[in-house]
Amino acid sequence: MADYSDLDRQIEQLRKCEIIKESEVKALCAKAREILVEESNVQRVDAPVTVCGDIHGQFYDLKSYSSHGFYLCQVGGDVPDTNYLFMGDFVDRGFYSVETFLLLLALKVRYPDRITLIRGNHESRQITQVYGFYDECLRKYGSITVWRYCTEIFDYLSLSAIIDGKIFCVHGGLSPSIATLDQIRMIDRKQEVPHDGPMCDLLWSDPEDTQGWGVSPRGAGYLFGSDVVSQFNADNNIDMICRAHQLVIEGYKWHFNETVLTVWSAPNYCYRCGNVAAIFELDEHLMKDFTIFEAAPQAVRGKPAKRPQPDYFL
Amino acid sequence: MGDEAVQSTNDDASQCKRFAVQKGYWKDPYIQYLVRSGDRRAPEINRGYFARVRGIKVLLDQFLEKTKCSCQVVNFGAGFDTLFWKLKDENKLPDIIVDFDFRAVTSRKCQYVKVRPPLLDQVKAVSGSEAVQIENAELHSPKYHIMWADLRNTSQIESKLRGIDNFDFSKPTVFITECVLVYLQPDKSSELIKWAAESFANSVFINYEQVHMSDKFGQVMVSNLRGRRCELEGIAPCQDLDTQKLRFVSNGFDDAVALEMGEVYRYLPADEVHRVERLEFLDETELLNQLLQHYCLCWAWKDKDQIVTEAVIAL
Repeated sequence: MADYSDLDRQIEQLRKCEIIKESEVKALCAKAREILVEESNVQRVDAPVTVCGDIHGQFYDLKSYSSHGFYLCQVGGDVPDTNYLFMGDFVDRGFYSVETFLLLLALKVRYPDRITLIRGNHESRQITQVYGFYDECLRKYGSITVWRYCTEIFDYLSLSAIIDGKIFCVHGGLSPSIATLDQIRMIDRKQEVPHDGPMCDLLWSDPEDTQGWGVSPRGAGYLFGSDVVSQFNADNNIDMICRAHQLVIEGYKWHFNETVLTVWSAPNYCYRCGNVAAIFELDEHLMKDFTIFEAAPQAVRGKPAKRPQPDYFL
Repeated sequence: MGDEAVQSTNDDASQCKRFAVQKGYWKDPYIQYLVRSGDRRAPEINRGYFARVRGIKVLLDQFLEKTKCSCQVVNFGAGFDTLFWKLKDENKLPDIIVDFDFRAVTSRKCQYVKVRPPLLDQVKAVSGSEAVQIENAELHSPKYHIMWADLRNTSQIESKLRGIDNFDFSKPTVFITECVLVYLQPDKSSELIKWAAESFANSVFINYEQVHMSDKFGQVMVSNLRGRRCELEGIAPCQDLDTQKLRFVSNGFDDAVALEMGEVYRYLPADEVHRVERLEFLDETELLNQLLQHYCLCWAWKDKDQIVTEAVIAL
């Protein structure tokens, strides 16, 4: 049996929102790569499972004030007791992207069958240089080595998941270049997120109350309408699409007669938006439930007590 | 709350503007001499500042055009605004520009102008044979004045303006407040507005600041800024667009228009908007929308001699 003592210690450290050493990050990423490289672009997940949307480095909303270590996982139950699927966007925007991503990655290495991580549009070299993860790595480690290790691992993250063959989970949405799950399975994902094409679309697209395809205001991916979803779900014999990617003030939102669901798991996003967050819970019969949660109270944030200073126009 | 915390909002805004300028959102070759480059800001912040700077400029340009620059600009809480230099470069200088701010702010600004030739040379260039005086945390020159005053004290402002030789209370005058009134208690901002309306027969007051502040986003903002010891004391008139207009109309202005910044953004020159939208990816459009919904541009006018109204009725 493998010796997990080092890993368990690192997990405990990360749960306390303390970074681990650069050499430990390197070793962790090497182990994670061995696991992730084996995963399919459409990773199979069995219910019961708890599905989470964007986290964006909001560690204290992830971390618990109890011994569990995660706020989110206190809300939803701890790993490995609860089986988790995280739909990407672990980093950027929040102030603890390093701790958040490394903790999730360490849990993945420790309990590979109890936690699934798929890639979001922020798990990218280009985007993290604009939205904070790059600067945070530089600030916390004094060099960009850790950012390099992490972004290399991003390339290995799966692109989507399918729960019990019925619920398709992806960060953004559909692509005009993709009609079947098998086409997703064909993508060579081990690369930086491209600027266009099917892999980009899966991570960037949004549902829109329209028919067919539309231009996305984000500058990447597409807007997809209800007819596109009906066709895709029918062709692939799935019940629904579960995705994240868009801020939802109420935490989750149904689209197109409950055939698409958006789940958002970063409460008070950017420490500014005033939204609640949600996690989506499926039992062994795929019965659906949601848990809504607010930002962790300031009092539980403890060390480091530096108060986030979100940007406004002053 | 400290006046210091309010003064520090100038540093934050100036750094944001400098970063956006560096990114290419608009041109301002002078801001680099007034503020050091700061942290990276998210694209929605850069775009929001673009909308603010550009929106105010569109209104101001119309005023300058209509009055053929035979007018005056009074910039309350001007901070490190580079308006003088921008208008100088564009050959659109009004008769006089006056910046007002706290002494701690004007002191720094005057010092930078004094020791940085790219700034000082431009002031000298339009001063003819007269010397540019920089002392006592103030700058005086024929076209440009930087003066300190407490905006809660209108008699101090009035006497400072009366101290300027060629300042003319009967000339068309535009007042600018960019995130300034919201830091004053409502009775104090009303006093300032009322003073402007009563002292000038032909004037426009351009105000950029928060709106829709009673919702959750507004509450979070108040609490976040309080965390920096920055109290939004003047939030009451920031309730909605009507309360923003009413504060001007009930204090002596003829009429007012108020637009959410989202709407202002849509009215900005399409080619420029198209250009800035290609500068940086917006990862989440809702973040920009939410910010733009919570700021507005309001402009009020008093137009005894029918000089300015036509110019500012439409953005």
